Amino acid sequence: MKVQYLIPFVEAAYEVLKAEVNIPLERGDLSLDKGAYLTDDVTVIISLVGDIEGIVFFGFSNEAALNIASGMLGENLDEMNGLAQSGIAELGNVITGRASVKLSKNGFQSTISPPTMLLGKGATISTLDFPRVVVPLTSRIGRVSIHLALREAFRQGANAALLKVPDAPGLKQSE
Amino acid sequence: MANVKFMNPFVEAAADVLEKEVNAKVERGTLSLQKSSLTSDQITVLLSLVGQVQGVVLYGLSKSTALNLVSRMMGQEFAEFDNLAQSGIAELGNVITGAATVKLSKEGFDAEISPPTLVQGEGIQISTLDFPRVVVQLKTEMGDITVHLALRESPPGSDTGKNYVPIAIQM
Repeated sequence: MKVQYLIPFVEAAYEVLKAEVNIPLERGDLSLDKGAYLTDDVTVIISLVGDIEGIVFFGFSNEAALNIASGMLGENLDEMNGLAQSGIAELGNVITGRASVKLSKNGFQSTISPPTMLLGKGATISTLDFPRVVVPLTSRIGRVSIHLALREAFRQGANAALLKVPDAPGLKQSE
Repeated sequence: MANVKFMNPFVEAAADVLEKEVNAKVERGTLSLQKSSLTSDQITVLLSLVGQVQGVVLYGLSKSTALNLVSRMMGQEFAEFDNLAQSGIAELGNVITGAATVKLSKEGFDAEISPPTLVQGEGIQISTLDFPRVVVQLKTEMGDITVHLALRESPPGSDTGKNYVPIAIQM
């Protein structure tokens, strides 16, 4: 997976978390993971469809999710209730949406799906033949990680017709 | 509001695909509308739809059903839910959803599907948040598949080139 898909997500996560909850983040070491992901307490899954396709998910420890949701909503939440879930899913959505805007500025148009939320530690999520880049974000509020399983879509059909066909000198019409 | 009209294309597609791939007859079981989060089965295939219809489709099945299906699909016995079996089940979800979107587009709803994601682990909570789910059980001789459709028509004015923007949380 190319780094040019990755940077928009890291930037967007940084910007959104700073704006929503004023929490500074530090990026940990990137790694490429081909195996399945063993879930943390809270996971938000969002798909991308378009020039770039695949799956993005965000893993949070319970502590981190509650801290972020509390910060977003301006009140103290001590369990992952409906409101907290909605807040965290929204956060995933805003980060991914912002990243896709950045990607479109780089020439890759993609649409994002509504979020799905998993609650429960120890399930495995497999993105199958998509290798996954893991971006751990460290902050004082708890564990947060971003997982990107994205690739450039292989497009056929309508778009193929728009490709410029180079001139073949041998086929030029004779006078 | 989840739309029941989106359900039939999925049930038909599942019946077509399962008949073709594994030669299984599919019977439609009970139908229900659920708003709370679902408790996962042993295996869940998750795909998203983006376009004039948007949302999430989940296929839940037990490990034994999954093994029966892939064994039949690939013509060899699977005892373990290994990578090949996982890939087969995810592909099955992909093909059913793909066939359903072809049917949906004939009814005037164009949508693209995302690549599949496979979730393993029983008893975790999967929530589609503000999307209620139409849940339908598909019964086959190899076991049951539960299809969860959390779909809705995209809001007017939005098109596929624009992103789904959620309603902001009101303070």
